[in-house]
Amino acid sequence: MSAALNETAAGWEPLIVSFCCNWCSYAGGDLAGTSRMSYPANVKVIRVPCSGRMNPLFVLRAFQRGADGVLVAGCHPGDCHYTSGNYQSRRRLSAFKRLVEFAGFEPERFEVRWISSSEGDKFAEEMTSMTEKIKALGPNRKMRDARWQSVTSKV
Amino acid sequence: MAERNIESVNKVREAVSQDLLGGRIDLLLGWEKGHYWWQSRPLFARSEEDLEKLAWDSFCAVNLSRYLLEELKDHDKIGVLVKGCDARAFNRLLQDNMVKRDQVILYGLPCPGMLDYNRLIEKAGGALLGITEENGRVILNIESGEQEAQRDDLLLDKCKDCRYPDPAVYDQLLFSPQGEKEGPERFKTVEELEEMSAEERFGYWEKELSRCLRCYACRQACPFCSCRECFVEQENPRWQGRAYQPSENFMFHLVRAYHGTGRCIDCGECERSCPVDIPLQELNRKLIKDINELYGDYEAGLDAEQEPPLLTYRPDDPAAFSEK
Repeated sequence: MSAALNETAAGWEPLIVSFCCNWCSYAGGDLAGTSRMSYPANVKVIRVPCSGRMNPLFVLRAFQRGADGVLVAGCHPGDCHYTSGNYQSRRRLSAFKRLVEFAGFEPERFEVRWISSSEGDKFAEEMTSMTEKIKALGPNRKMRDARWQSVTSKV
Repeated sequence: MAERNIESVNKVREAVSQDLLGGRIDLLLGWEKGHYWWQSRPLFARSEEDLEKLAWDSFCAVNLSRYLLEELKDHDKIGVLVKGCDARAFNRLLQDNMVKRDQVILYGLPCPGMLDYNRLIEKAGGALLGITEENGRVILNIESGEQEAQRDDLLLDKCKDCRYPDPAVYDQLLFSPQGEKEGPERFKTVEELEEMSAEERFGYWEKELSRCLRCYACRQACPFCSCRECFVEQENPRWQGRAYQPSENFMFHLVRAYHGTGRCIDCGECERSCPVDIPLQELNRKLIKDINELYGDYEAGLDAEQEPPLLTYRPDDPAAFSEK
């Protein structure tokens, strides 16, 4: 707890890892950029071929290595480049989201959103609202690797 | 002694010995008595002599189907004694293409539920010399005489809420079926945990998981953990660290449970085999409960033809997150 307070006092900024599907959400991020929309720099985007590529291990590893929140973004159902990738991930990630909540994570820490390549504004909006929610929650200590050293903020 | 019924053991022996001695099967997976009277361990019978050791009593909790993975490497045709959960485990392996149906002969044993030694000694309140059973009652032989108890109160946790004591798949059913059961308290602990706040739940799991030795007994006993290479042993990337810390405990237990989504047959072998009594079954049951709620009732292992929920989808599926 004291570590958390120190971080806030030292101007703690949340780290949010966003896994974006190559065909929709990553392109949506591109559109947000080319349209000169701004969203918080707290979000670090990792491109995946499809939201169906998401391995829950990616999410847990992110939490281990300093993420305060994880957002998976993919094409809207029905729009998957590979036809059914996001239908599969909808089932998998729904079960996984409930499992991490059952393990004691706050529901806001892990989110899934559908963002298409034409939704640059939605991309910016979702990234902003996720950052705000995590800021309000404070730093995540759950599942943090004890040996991990913050590179973005001094603890 | 813990013998229940010599007749029923003989009946089982008779059924399997024809096949084993006649050469229809090369190996029989069954149970034999262990070092103590309250232990029944797996028996790997290859001869008439081996079959003499066969046991079928109230301590045959070990799920035998899991042993097929190893034994099928050296044997062409194996006979297995299957209780309700062993049969569902067999269906699980069948669906995962780990075994072929014609490599195995299944002898179905409708199961009355297995007894928990810890509950027995608790009930006895001292040294317990042995038990005898009749009509749903257990008579405990203690030093000062005898004590009677209801069988249902002495069952293993994994058997208490068992819904399908009869084998879902078999070639030969050796006794009359028990019928489907209710299992009303199956999700009770899960629901209690769901009521807690996130912090309380995290505290609960941090404490429970802190005992984990990472011995992987839960994985070894599990019929859904049939991967030839498990993520915990992968070197590159090395997902599972060896360090003793909560972070690594959560990593293992969340992913182990998650790999059973829509696949866990709820046999409870993971929890039973855990040397430090981590309530692993609650993680598994949480996933069973969620999948049932979100994507329709599904009991893994009951029907090998029915597609597991995570291998299929419907365009109008609900989600556990906002889809706006």
